[in-house]
Amino acid sequence: MNDLTYLKRLFQAYYQEEHKNFPVISSFNLREFGVIPWEKKVFMKRHMRFENPKLLRGYLIQDPPRHLYSSGSLYLEPDAREMESKNYQGCDLIVDIDVDHFYTPCKEKHDLWYCKECGAEGTGMPEKCPECKKSKFTKLNWVCNDCLDVAKNEIKKLVNNFLIPDFGISEEDMRIAFSGHRGYHLKVESEELRKLNTDERREIVDYLTGNNISFELLGLTERSKEIFGLIKENRGWSQKIMNKIEKILEKPKEQIETLLLDKHLFGFNSNVVNSFLNYKDDFLELITKGKRNIWAIEGFGLTMWKRFLKGIVKQVGVELDEPVSIDIHRLIRYPGSLHGKTGFKTQEISLSELEDFKPLDEKNEKLDPIVFKSKKNLTHKLEVVAEALPITKIKGVEYGLIKKERKSKSLIT
Amino acid sequence: MSIPNELINRHPWLPSLKTFYSNFWEKSYEEFIAEIFSKDISNEIAERVLIIFESAFNNLEDIPNKKFDYLNIYVYILLKILLYALNNKTITNRIANLYSKNAYNDLERENSESNLYDICQDLGLRINYYNPPIDYGIKIVKDYREKLKTNFTIHFIDYLRLASNLRDEYRKLTNNPLEDGYVFIQNKTLIRLIQEYVRNKLLIEETEDKASLNAFLQEASRIQRFKDMFDKIESLWDKRKEEFKFSFKIDINSKEEIQTLYPPCVVEILKKAEEGQNLVHHERLFIVWFLLALEYPVENVVDIFSTLPDFDRGKTTYQVEYAKKKNYTPYQCSTLKSLGLCMANKYKDKLCLEGYGSIEPTERKKLKHPLAYVRIKQYRNEKEKFKKNKAKQVLEGSKRQDE
Repeated sequence: MNDLTYLKRLFQAYYQEEHKNFPVISSFNLREFGVIPWEKKVFMKRHMRFENPKLLRGYLIQDPPRHLYSSGSLYLEPDAREMESKNYQGCDLIVDIDVDHFYTPCKEKHDLWYCKECGAEGTGMPEKCPECKKSKFTKLNWVCNDCLDVAKNEIKKLVNNFLIPDFGISEEDMRIAFSGHRGYHLKVESEELRKLNTDERREIVDYLTGNNISFELLGLTERSKEIFGLIKENRGWSQKIMNKIEKILEKPKEQIETLLLDKHLFGFNSNVVNSFLNYKDDFLELITKGKRNIWAIEGFGLTMWKRFLKGIVKQVGVELDEPVSIDIHRLIRYPGSLHGKTGFKTQEISLSELEDFKPLDEKNEKLDPIVFKSKKNLTHKLEVVAEALPITKIKGVEYGLIKKERKSKSLIT
Repeated sequence: MSIPNELINRHPWLPSLKTFYSNFWEKSYEEFIAEIFSKDISNEIAERVLIIFESAFNNLEDIPNKKFDYLNIYVYILLKILLYALNNKTITNRIANLYSKNAYNDLERENSESNLYDICQDLGLRINYYNPPIDYGIKIVKDYREKLKTNFTIHFIDYLRLASNLRDEYRKLTNNPLEDGYVFIQNKTLIRLIQEYVRNKLLIEETEDKASLNAFLQEASRIQRFKDMFDKIESLWDKRKEEFKFSFKIDINSKEEIQTLYPPCVVEILKKAEEGQNLVHHERLFIVWFLLALEYPVENVVDIFSTLPDFDRGKTTYQVEYAKKKNYTPYQCSTLKSLGLCMANKYKDKLCLEGYGSIEPTERKKLKHPLAYVRIKQYRNEKEKFKKNKAKQVLEGSKRQDE
């Protein structure tokens, strides 16, 4: 039996065992389904339809796919081959938060890259190879508790700072799921949001991320060589930004320094940072008293303040995968299905369960996305086919670091 | 909800028109025209309609001597019928722009919050009305302090529906206060959104069903007074239309028509300009910067704007020359996306959607700037030409050998 057949059978066993508890999404028979099969040469098969959940369960047992997806959209004819013929009825608002798309410090430990051009290698998330400046990489991305926590915090931020207070979306309309790999999905199922077109969805995405905010429209202006800044009283993004600035200014100097030097956020040089730190107490007092808004820090002109505010917006906004929320024809992982890269389950969780949810070490059996566990304490012999296995911790057990000679295979137990 | 009759006379584009004057909707266009032109009021209606067309063709921003009696309703319906009959996108756009701008001016002049509230209700917009107005912030610049207050908040979905096409920075949701699903909106901005609603109501698509149109025109032409009015509008247009046309063929170094190399975001703006549709601020900036970056002569860039409802050659020339002096860089793709000006999906453009640089999808680079689009297209065209020439040479070589 080859590896893929073995894995396919494992998935089959899972779907067989779980078929009675398998989740059913809303408007089931109006959704388009898609699968990625185990056969290596076959890409995604789309335009599938299941009249009822029983037929889907039967399919999963019969021919379990590597990945299973369903559409955020509703169609009268979801199985039509052409998008124009599907008779589109509307689309849920979907937010995908995936650490693949943004920087987390833990990537320096567990995300490996090899430059295809010059053979250089390293860790982290470079845009270009530091050696040859080209951007063709082979990547080996991993997952850890830290980056999954970052993703979880983004979801919490999305719900508690934006969807509920600003958009007035009720908790009952939200479906949250751990993707089974490096992130979370959130789906808003509401009749009126389903009618939004892509332009309108883009506006929502911009609001959630803070993209293209106009600081001038929020109040930043220069008059007679004085800079007039944002005001905490002003509702909307102004208030969010000012609250964040206040929180940062309340931190110890060392922490502020680290933040301002961080090239992924502000990227200021040490002179600028020192100047900022010298004035930080005055700045905090000015903000908290709120009677005046003259922002005066040595070396900070309009351009520098904008750069500072951009860094703040980056922290306030949600790190989401924009095309997923804008595109109305996207498919997302079906809840309860298994992720073909990890074997973890796409696990639905309620907002109240989210706080304590730990995908790699979940104690609540019902929420545990790790479905393949040894019932007895056995030792398995595994072959690592990848070139490296970074340090990782699953169910409290640490694995790695294993690094092989490139292009060779090794056996570990 | 019932809306005062007087309000429908003033604003006949309100949905309640159908309820109040349901007898209009039971009639065909022909019957409607026949009815109007059999009455004494027909001269007055025709005159008012002609004033609207003349104003639109003369780039006016308001309709002079407008009256708000019940005839206003006939004028509105007749205007819609005429736009269908003329079947000319440029004219439709000019009328829609003028009529909606006029609706904005009327509403602003009325300065009545209760009317505004009734109108929003009639349009099915979810709004909250506050009296006294509520505070949502403060503006402080030097010694100037102004409390930001408003009478209205509007549900974000209704706001997006009306505002997302407007593409002005200050109307972006991000730049507006939003709480509990409602956007705090100034009366003036609310009226501007209603203006957009009115504009859309008049934007009738050019009909492809020429047979029905001709049959209608034939039937309607039997009514002499309608025919006179229709002919007069056409002759007015004939006199002015040359001013609204622009030629867009220009060769660049390689003598290749640059038009075939344009990204869809640029094509869309040019198309809109050609049809006389209004261009928002960002569209105007972008097209100017883009064409100047390709070293277009100032005069040709100015010509693009000649079709627009608010065109002023002197002012436009000054602005384009200023932009040239400043050498601004056109917006990059990410900015265009956020401004809603990216048309990659609408045009299903392969280069924009799939990127470039490799056959392998995972190794393709994303297009980041519309100017890069032109460069890549130029490179591809050159490559294609080179290949064709080479193939031709090989073919000719083998022919010679055979001989």
